[in-house]
Amino acid sequence: MKYLKLLLLPWMAAVVAASFLWPEPAKGFLGESSRIVFFHVPCAWTAALAFLVAAGYSVGWLVARNPRFDEVAETAVRLGLLFAVLTLLTGSLFAKIMWGSYWNWDPRESSYLLLVFLYSAYLFLRAAVDDRERRARIGSAYAVFAAVLMPFLVFVAPRVTASLHPQTVINPQGKILMDAPTKTVFFAALAGFTGLFFWMLEIESRLARLTRERRQTG
Amino acid sequence: MSSLAYLATVNVVVWVGLFVYLWRLDRRISEQERNR
Repeated sequence: MKYLKLLLLPWMAAVVAASFLWPEPAKGFLGESSRIVFFHVPCAWTAALAFLVAAGYSVGWLVARNPRFDEVAETAVRLGLLFAVLTLLTGSLFAKIMWGSYWNWDPRESSYLLLVFLYSAYLFLRAAVDDRERRARIGSAYAVFAAVLMPFLVFVAPRVTASLHPQTVINPQGKILMDAPTKTVFFAALAGFTGLFFWMLEIESRLARLTRERRQTG
Repeated sequence: MSSLAYLATVNVVVWVGLFVYLWRLDRRISEQERNR
C-alpha cells in the first residue's frame, strides 16, 4: 500500500507534465483549451466515484450499523463535493475561453450544479441532527437516494436538450474520439485521480475514527 | 522556456507540494494510531 502511494508521486507528476507538453491541442477548440480535459473529466469521474462509494458504505451502515461505515460515507461525500466543485471551476475556465462567459446556464452546467446542491444538502442535513445514530440513519438513506438521482443529473438531464458542452467520452458513436497521446494521458490521469481519491479517503476516514475514539474516551 | 513548459513546471511543483502534505499527514495519523 505504501508503495502504491509512493508511486502516485512520479505517476501524477508525469501526467501533469505530459498533459501540457505531449498531446497536440484538439481540433475545433480555441488555443490550448482542450487540455482541460486531463483535469476536468478526471475530477468529474472522481466525484461520481466518491458518491457511489458513499452510497455503498451507506448501504453497509444500514445493514451492519457499524459507525465506521457512516464515517467513510460522510468522508466520501465531502471528497466527492471537493472534486465536483473542481469540475465546475475547471469547466467554467473552459467556458470562458470557448464561449466567452464563465457561466452559461448550459444544461450540463446546470444539472451539475444541482448535483453539488444535492450533496451539499447531505452535509447540511447531517449537521442538523445531534444524535449520532439518527444522523447516520438519515444520512445513509439520503446518500442512497442521492446516488440513484446522480446518474440522471450527470448522464440523462444534460442530453435532453441541445448543449454547448463538447462531446463527452461516453458519446452516441460509442467511440473514444481522441488520438493516441491524448488517450494515454487521459486514462493515466483517470487512474491517478482515482488513486489520489482513495488515498485521501483513507486519510480522512482514519482521522474521523481517531476523533471519534478520542471523544469516546474523554 | 515556453509558456506551456512553464505551466507544466508550476503544476508539477504544486502536485509535489500536495503529495508531501498528504504523505506527512498520513505518517502523523499512523503515529497517533500507534500511540492510542
